[in-house]
Amino acid sequence: MDQFIEQIVTGLSIGSILLLVALGLSIIYGSMGIINLAHGEFVMLGAYAAWVFHTYLGLGLLASLVPIFLVVAAFGWVIERYVLSLLNNRPLDTILATWGVGIMLQQAVRLSVGSELRYVQLPPALSDSMDVFGISVSSYRVFLFVVSIALFGATWLLMNRTPVGMKLRAIIQDRSVAASFGINAKRVYALTFAYGAGLAGLAGALVSPLKSVSPDMGTGYVVDAFMVVVLGGVQSLAGTVASAFILGELSGGIAFLQNDTVAKAIVLLAIVVLIRFRPEGLFTARVRA
Amino acid sequence: MPSHVPNSSGLQRLIAQLAPLLIVCAIVFALPVLLNNDFLLNKVARYLVLGILTVSLGLSWGFGGILNLGQAMSFGLGSYAMAMALKLKTVPVHTGASGLPDFMVWNNVQHLPWFWEPFRSLTFAIAAGLIVPALVAAALGWFMFRGRVTGVYVSIITLATMVVINLVIIDQQSYTGGFNGITDLAQLEIFGVAFDAYGRATYYLVACCVLLSLLVAFAFTKSKAGLIVQAIRDHESRVRYFGYDVALYQIFVFALSAAIAGLAGMLYTVVMEFASPTFLGVQLSLSVVVWCAVGGRQSLVGAFLGAVLVAGMQGALSESAAFLETWTLVMGALFVLVVLFLPKGLAGLAQVVWRWIVQRRQAASGRVAQGVGQTEGST
Repeated sequence: MDQFIEQIVTGLSIGSILLLVALGLSIIYGSMGIINLAHGEFVMLGAYAAWVFHTYLGLGLLASLVPIFLVVAAFGWVIERYVLSLLNNRPLDTILATWGVGIMLQQAVRLSVGSELRYVQLPPALSDSMDVFGISVSSYRVFLFVVSIALFGATWLLMNRTPVGMKLRAIIQDRSVAASFGINAKRVYALTFAYGAGLAGLAGALVSPLKSVSPDMGTGYVVDAFMVVVLGGVQSLAGTVASAFILGELSGGIAFLQNDTVAKAIVLLAIVVLIRFRPEGLFTARVRA
Repeated sequence: MPSHVPNSSGLQRLIAQLAPLLIVCAIVFALPVLLNNDFLLNKVARYLVLGILTVSLGLSWGFGGILNLGQAMSFGLGSYAMAMALKLKTVPVHTGASGLPDFMVWNNVQHLPWFWEPFRSLTFAIAAGLIVPALVAAALGWFMFRGRVTGVYVSIITLATMVVINLVIIDQQSYTGGFNGITDLAQLEIFGVAFDAYGRATYYLVACCVLLSLLVAFAFTKSKAGLIVQAIRDHESRVRYFGYDVALYQIFVFALSAAIAGLAGMLYTVVMEFASPTFLGVQLSLSVVVWCAVGGRQSLVGAFLGAVLVAGMQGALSESAAFLETWTLVMGALFVLVVLFLPKGLAGLAQVVWRWIVQRRQAASGRVAQGVGQTEGST
């Protein structure tokens, strides 16, 4: 029984990291239809920003979260403005362009900071462990769980309860009609992309104490995050949350029963089958085409 | 120079379209005369093989509109087919009973697995190197295109499938050599000719395959099926309304492209003298997309040259780590610029420049009207 609960908690922990990373991707993909292959690099930038703030400015991880969000969001804004907005009606080409951007970011970091592994310290206040359902869990993992849920809530509010969110939803429904009502689609898109990038940066900063920071750390994340978004369904934030935790529990569980490789392969195959039969994701109601 | 000839007939146009292809192949065949260095020749052969792989992607992506991010899967399967046959031809050194490959002995495998058995025959291996990738692609294509999966989702499925196969190969160490791949191979020998990786024979073998695959791909794009495939790329549902079985054509071009990639994979094993899971890795697979985009996805010769030039450049710079890193950065930037401003790649640029020159010449000789009338629309 203890082992079972431990598995559940491990799954929740994996799931909350997945949610953190996937949330930004989900916003960008769901609202702009852009498959952002540079997403992993935004995560990496966030992790490096955490390291830079800590090493050169002496800021703790928690204190630097807001600046990290802003820095990575600024990167996102520039990339949307000067690369992606030129590719309006070529969705396949955005995959290529964002991938190229990702390579550039990765190389730029490798050339400037070097490719050796960097480490970010756990915030001292969260470095102990606490009891959850009779199991000792690191406080930081609990913190991550809470933050991921909070960020999801903030994003939901932003999308559904603010003027910017309403404009974005109007553009998603019909860009030209929205534009004729005076909504500046370009500006909203740029802001959306920047927000998604900022979220990725936060995710990178938050996972940086758990994993080592390296220029190519993003590659694994982008694949996982993508699977979450596909499983959850485009344009469904709640679906993203559900699928993040489902995938977390699933990969935790299979890895426990088999091994990591088998877990990865099975999850990938499941996704392939899912795309074939339910490309709109598990949690989206079928809407008028 | 088609536009110089008034009323150019179909045959003349065909020759004009074939000209770049034949010129490039002529250069490929002439290269050993100029390059008197076996080591360099082996390197060039390697780039040529990658060129074939890129042509195969150009066929499915540029002409079929199917962006296969797992093109290296077919390449890797071909490569392993050849490596398995060549491994079984080695003189047993470490091997146990019935000439088991060395890595199987290390992994305590007692008997040769059933799926290795037929690879004792080289003919079978070569056939398998073409047919297995084609069949796998056909099955995957059937799975996707019968369900009308399009666009981005095709890319995700192909990429994910390749990663799964890659994981399985690495995981099943005792049957596949795992992470190390299959190394220490015998030389390929066909009709008494031994293909040493650093010999001229291998180079010419590769060159012949370049010519062959370019011609096959060219013939396909000019065939009726090829035209329908291009029509599907441009407007899928319109072609469907005409009563064509869209999925069937997509499956066919997907499988043909996989077979050519399989051929490239087999050659790669001969040139590199090993097979490795990286041959069906994400890195290579995405690089092929870059080469294809830079060279020009809708031009077979362009895609081929894109691979040879970019991979060659990368190879030349890889002597120094700092150079290579900078080059990768430049490569990323170049790639983004090509995607943004040159959707048809360098081949498209060459076409524009060529037309401009022809028009200038005609303008100079006072034959403007004829020239402009014959240039095809290219937007």
